[in-house]
Amino acid sequence: MKSCEDLTISQLHHALQNGDVSASEIASATLDNIEKSDPTLNAFTHVTRDRMLCEAAKIDRLRASGATLPPLAAVPYAVKNLLDVAGEVTLAGASLNSSNPLAKHDAWTVSRLTRQGAMLSGMLNMDAYAYGFTTENSHYGVTRNPRDISRIAGGSSGGSAAAVAAGLVHFALGSDTNGSIRVPASLSGILGLKPTFGRISRSGSQPFVASLDHIGPLARCTADLSQVYDAMQGSDPQDAFQADKPNTETFSRLTHGQQGLRTAVLGGYFSTWCDDDAKAAVQLVAKALEAQETVEIPQAELARSAAFLITASEGGNQYLPLLRSIPQQFEPLSRERLLAGAMIPAAWYVQAQRFRHQFQQQVLPLFEHWDILIAPSTPCSATLIGQETIRINDADLPTRASMGMLTQPISFLGLPVVSVPLMTASGLPIGLQLIAPPWREDLCLRAAWALEQQGLVKLLASPVTA
Amino acid sequence: MKNRSAATDWAAYVSQMESVLALELDDARRQEVLVQFSRIAQMAEPLMALPLDPRLEIAGVYRA
Repeated sequence: MKSCEDLTISQLHHALQNGDVSASEIASATLDNIEKSDPTLNAFTHVTRDRMLCEAAKIDRLRASGATLPPLAAVPYAVKNLLDVAGEVTLAGASLNSSNPLAKHDAWTVSRLTRQGAMLSGMLNMDAYAYGFTTENSHYGVTRNPRDISRIAGGSSGGSAAAVAAGLVHFALGSDTNGSIRVPASLSGILGLKPTFGRISRSGSQPFVASLDHIGPLARCTADLSQVYDAMQGSDPQDAFQADKPNTETFSRLTHGQQGLRTAVLGGYFSTWCDDDAKAAVQLVAKALEAQETVEIPQAELARSAAFLITASEGGNQYLPLLRSIPQQFEPLSRERLLAGAMIPAAWYVQAQRFRHQFQQQVLPLFEHWDILIAPSTPCSATLIGQETIRINDADLPTRASMGMLTQPISFLGLPVVSVPLMTASGLPIGLQLIAPPWREDLCLRAAWALEQQGLVKLLASPVTA
Repeated sequence: MKNRSAATDWAAYVSQMESVLALELDDARRQEVLVQFSRIAQMAEPLMALPLDPRLEIAGVYRA
């Protein structure tokens, strides 16, 4: 039998039901793997060993009783350390939060996954405050890319991506304000889903930018991503930003694949600001999904600027009291960036929010003609840890700010996106965004599934040996 | 058209905001805030130059 980390969620469920493996055995193997690999990767900020073993024992008792097992029974996962876990401190990547009171309750999504039988192995490293794309954290260390440990895993959900890519967990939760699920998924060679803005509850998560924050899953294959996403859906009256939309079940629709999907490539800004590896990957996916045309989103660069302003302003305001009282405890890589954001004139912020509305009105009509739009997730593959610039389109761009330049305009619109990984000629993966109309996560998941069926997107874990 | 970012004295603005927000910065931090703010101002410039329909509202999601 394959080892548990090589099984999909469905295969793991089958093995558990058949008695080929117990939940306790899965939990112990997961914890052993984390113990072996994490000193190299630094994906985890905290391992919830006792909780995981307790959840495993509960699943084993349930199975012994002959009861039906919930859909995610005994599936190991971990969460970005900005989601509350009862009895633990929520760090949001910041040591200034380390003396905060313990969370009294699980975040809404964590509680939902627990009810579905998933087993929580721990909490994951990230850029401080979720403000960055590299997970180079001065207080909690850099998270290394399992595909090449001299490189970044991406961020801000870098721990989430690294833990999944290394096969330590079947899936992880991350958050995406400007690309923080899609960027690390791209650089670490896994899949990530940023759902429609307002789709998934954010209750019990540390806010960064209320106007842009999303919660979503990362996984190694489309079926797993889809099953976890389906389990995360549901109405939460406590989340005022959640939209009043019915759940859209995706797993049973995956096998429809690309049938009937009208696909186009995003040109202009999205084909200009990426390297040759990204362009080659776009061509491969375009061919596989039978994309015939290239379309442009006008003012995409302005959308990036507006997202940047909203992020800086709301993020700066969020941390202003602590920037006054305990500046010495802040992450040096982002402290003055936060402070500058807190000084933004209201006129700029309001203009950005009004432009968001205009941009939406310009872009949504595209979906009368197209179901999927393709664009790179990152301008290039993973850079070396500490690398300050990337050279794109004959310009040297700052790595920390620019890795998200192709994701920012899309999350500004709030559209659902799956980032799928392709291998490049350099041997490193790069992600492509499969972008769908609002509330149609099923369409981008179907496109991702179709690419897997064609062998373009492959399910690969990269175990790390210290 | 005049380049507003270059013409505006952002050092004076940052200094004023430092006072308004009751911050105490040393020279090194003030200089880094200025670098960061100038970058934001550069991004804001084309956005502020964009004419928007007077009836265009913000994309807010507040619901009572």
